[in-house]
Amino acid sequence: MARPDGEPLVRCDRLSIGYAAASGETVGVVGDVSFTLGRGEALGIVGESGSGKSTLARALLGYLRGGGRFLGGSLAVDGIDVVAASGPALAALRGLKVAMVPQNPLSSLTYHVRVGRQVEEVLVTRRGMTRRQARARTLELFDEMGLPDPAAIATRYPHQLSGGQRQRVVIAAALACDPALLVLDEPTTALDKTTEAQVLDLIATVRRTSGAALVLVTHDLNVVARVCDRTLVMKDGRVVEAGPVAEIFGRPRTGYARELLAAALIIDASRAPGARSSTGPLLGIEGVGFSYAGKTWWKRTPADHAKILDRIDIQIGRGEVLGVIGESGSGKTTLGMLVAGMIAAREGRMQFEGKGLASTVVGRTKDQRRRIQMIFQDPLSSLNPRQTVGTALVRPLQFFFGLDGAAARRRAVELLARLGMGADFLDRYPRQLSGGQQQRIAIARAFAAQPDLLICDEITSALDASVQAQVLEHLLALQRESAAAMMVITHDLSVIWKIAPQVIVLKQGKIVEQGETATVFARPSNPYTAGLLEAATQASRIAAPSVEP
Amino acid sequence: MKTVIQRIVRRPLTIVGILLVAFHLTMALAAPLLAPYDPFILIGAPLEPPDATYWLGTDALGRDFLSRLLMGGRISIVAALAAGLIASLVGGLIGLAAAYYRGLFDDIVSRLVEMNLAIPAILFVTLFVTGFGQTLPVLILVISVIKMMGVIRTSRAQGIVLMEMGYVKAARLRGETAASVILRELLPNIADLLAVEFAMRTSSALLLVSALSFLGLGISPPTPDWGLMIHDGLQSIRSEPWLILAPALCVSTLVVGINFAVEGISDALGLEAARGAA
Amino acid sequence: MIGAILRRTGLSLLTLVLLAIYIFLATEVLPGDALDVSLSADEISQMPPAQLAKMKHELGLDRPAYERLGEFLLGAARLDFGRTVMTKARVVDIVAYPLRNSLLLAGTVIVIAFPLSLMLGVAAACRYRRPVDTLVSVGAIIGYSVPEFVTGTVLVMLFAVAWPLFPATITASTSDPALVLLAAAPLAVATIVIGSIAYLTRILRVGMVEALSTDFVERLRLTGIPEWRIVLLHALPAAVIPSLTAMALYAAAMVSGLVVVELVFAYPGLGQELVRAVTRREVHVVQVIALFSASVVVVLNLAADLMILALDPRTRRR
Repeated sequence: MARPDGEPLVRCDRLSIGYAAASGETVGVVGDVSFTLGRGEALGIVGESGSGKSTLARALLGYLRGGGRFLGGSLAVDGIDVVAASGPALAALRGLKVAMVPQNPLSSLTYHVRVGRQVEEVLVTRRGMTRRQARARTLELFDEMGLPDPAAIATRYPHQLSGGQRQRVVIAAALACDPALLVLDEPTTALDKTTEAQVLDLIATVRRTSGAALVLVTHDLNVVARVCDRTLVMKDGRVVEAGPVAEIFGRPRTGYARELLAAALIIDASRAPGARSSTGPLLGIEGVGFSYAGKTWWKRTPADHAKILDRIDIQIGRGEVLGVIGESGSGKTTLGMLVAGMIAAREGRMQFEGKGLASTVVGRTKDQRRRIQMIFQDPLSSLNPRQTVGTALVRPLQFFFGLDGAAARRRAVELLARLGMGADFLDRYPRQLSGGQQQRIAIARAFAAQPDLLICDEITSALDASVQAQVLEHLLALQRESAAAMMVITHDLSVIWKIAPQVIVLKQGKIVEQGETATVFARPSNPYTAGLLEAATQASRIAAPSVEP
Repeated sequence: MKTVIQRIVRRPLTIVGILLVAFHLTMALAAPLLAPYDPFILIGAPLEPPDATYWLGTDALGRDFLSRLLMGGRISIVAALAAGLIASLVGGLIGLAAAYYRGLFDDIVSRLVEMNLAIPAILFVTLFVTGFGQTLPVLILVISVIKMMGVIRTSRAQGIVLMEMGYVKAARLRGETAASVILRELLPNIADLLAVEFAMRTSSALLLVSALSFLGLGISPPTPDWGLMIHDGLQSIRSEPWLILAPALCVSTLVVGINFAVEGISDALGLEAARGAA
Repeated sequence: MIGAILRRTGLSLLTLVLLAIYIFLATEVLPGDALDVSLSADEISQMPPAQLAKMKHELGLDRPAYERLGEFLLGAARLDFGRTVMTKARVVDIVAYPLRNSLLLAGTVIVIAFPLSLMLGVAAACRYRRPVDTLVSVGAIIGYSVPEFVTGTVLVMLFAVAWPLFPATITASTSDPALVLLAAAPLAVATIVIGSIAYLTRILRVGMVEALSTDFVERLRLTGIPEWRIVLLHALPAAVIPSLTAMALYAAAMVSGLVVVELVFAYPGLGQELVRAVTRREVHVVQVIALFSASVVVVLNLAADLMILALDPRTRRR
């Protein structure tokens, strides 16, 4: 597809970008990045948060967010020098030659304008179409994007569409001017795994039919594996590895790329989580259901999700680790909150050690509250920013065991040591810690109560892949040592694979599959589970053949 | 903390604001020492022009105007500070309690707040002053109730956000009491918000107190007070305009100073949201 | 949709009834009854108890509070507020013209202040953290920090005394035609307009800054849509819709400003009437004025809610 002169579509040479920090200095975000992209090629830019991948993606459109500027190097897109480009040149570039598909389709569409109008606006202002032409073309585009009943969809507002439909509308708007390059910034992060697969298929189709080149920015190697030919692995603003996808996934040269790959799910029977190892029943849940309260005349509660959980039965034995998988809206977080006693079940009953367990903390004994602990998702919100680590750890020790100050501090130091942290952490505030350290403190706080059951709600999903592994190891070590049972709630199948021998799969408030993790992952009996696994194992499929030389 | 101070120092307007507030507070504290004459005593002829003995002349009754000007902020400042303090503390706690309990209690609080916000402040004061008399304690109490409503709103909104935080959930799951959760986990996290609220409410309370004095519904004569002095000055607006301009400058610079400082400090603390609130 | 409108209207009505009860309690029950409030302590002490009791009976004040409250509410529903305790004048007659005059003043202010604030707020937000923005923001802070009675007095000094363009106080009388009143009140209008612009500009600027930093504005910019379309067609509605509630609440602050300004300029409106009624202890007049102005605020809040419902598709049900 190269032009006669052989010039690639994108030529990026030692490009550096910086942002003005609050202190007034310029901080480099992208440094010395070089790559080329031919017409019709698909490049995946992979990296964790803060790697500079989103900044690089926007730079392809000559756009830097507030305070950003080019520090050096050159970037040419279809013959336009983006670094030096001024107003008119940029106007000729954006939308016409390079188009962007942003991360969050809901917030990227104007909420008070019908979606059809939003695509028409691009056609009218950028391609000079008449309203009538624009309307017809919009419906065509919607049809090409696989949207059902384009005429009806066009009259909807963004919030009235599903996540997948919104992303299709945004892609339609990006394709409106037949760009030569489509930049996609985490295009499926806001979507469910099942929808993600469909949108990625659409992106692959679009590439084939339109001949546009793709730059796909993501943290998820599975997405790259599905769509791209080549990949660029970025860390701290620099390219650490670049090359064809199969080569990098098969033989990663740097430790960083290996870490990223390890975080992706690889089903390897020899490394399956251990078998069920319980010494008797601990928690029993029978026919538990939950739905939000109906409406009262003076206050309206959203009625669209009536039943969050429907007749759930679960058994967890002592020392057992149970994984709970599901997508957002599947009711998995609600299940955790029910067991923890934060909300009351509408129906069903719970038993703990053979005794009835009251539905909320108010009705539970102090001993029951101590023995059931919970760790939360966002590390930053897990700890009170106004309390030192010491205060956070000492409080449960005093509350549950009546330890005096000195004894509680000694115990806190022991806990910290188990999690690989020194006594000097006691006097630090949460904001002085990294995300991984914060989450380890939250784990220490939960284990301070010496629980028998620990509920972990997406505890690693806010962490970067390389940190995740470390936190999980610490968690698992403490769990084995204390023989506490765990209920691990997550959407990330690789977490389950690493630590949970038993698993249940939730969908729309119901258990659709359960059993030993190794069995379920190897031979899923439910199409939903199969879809989740399919999405999560793309990277390992490319990597697998080259594992054996 | 260091960066917050750096951010404050880099905005010149914030510095101007802080200096203005500091100047007025010092003057108000030192007024009895600085005032050349007793502000209550008739010492000269009415409406004498400024000269070497009476630097700003005398007022319509023949009292030294400079002394009255120096003393004229004291009562309003004390009233406004007291009202601002009560409003931000009590309002903050009520807002957090509403966020903690939700349910019926929250509904009642929210409805009462909404209702009170619908009553214009001057009318609210008038209603109670008509009923309970025009005394300083009544005034302070009524103004703190008025200014409390906005504080309840902001602290309730912030409290609802905080209730979703892992550390609050952890405390509730431990079985900590309501008082413990509110005072240990919630209150410290809205302390900076409340500090800004305190300053904001004090400045608007000051505006209200002086407006009331101007209307003759606030501080009563013969107490020297800026609002009252401007009202009295209207009699001689053509001949002795400084009798209006001097107290007008005082009350304006004080309120402007507080608001400059609040703007800069809340900005530096990242409390952009607090500024949109009425 | 219709359900939501009915629900909000119902809530506003409930708020109004509660407000009426509140006003009644604050003036006639907590401090004593209407007669106690209408008389000064001296007058009460001089009056023989028998005469006091007779007067109370004539006024119906010897009945229990809830009965009097019921009567007050029924009267309010029919816009009948009885007569003043001492002079026996019909309360509605006393407040009718002042009410019209105040609404006139307020309406004029809004017509002038709203478009100006909109322009200033948008201009400042489009030049965020640049000189225009700083100027507008600092101007707004000063504008709402300086009390109305100071602004008004200074305007009088400048444009009525030093440079006599306008009359210092308004000579028109209460029942003059609307245009005569307005022609006599340019300084009064200017005073409230200054404060209102300061307040509204601030709300709109914050809303606009937020709207301009949304993802959809970034997407539009990356698509090369002209900036004016982005600002006017996409960001501006997104800034105004959430600001409507704050703007409606501003009505309450404006009433307070009106009271002061009416007094400074001797404008024959409700504010003047209010201060007069308070000094003469005419409880019923104070009640009516309180109820009227609170109703205006409640109605404006309802209007803001309904406008949000009409303009923001997310608030409508599918």
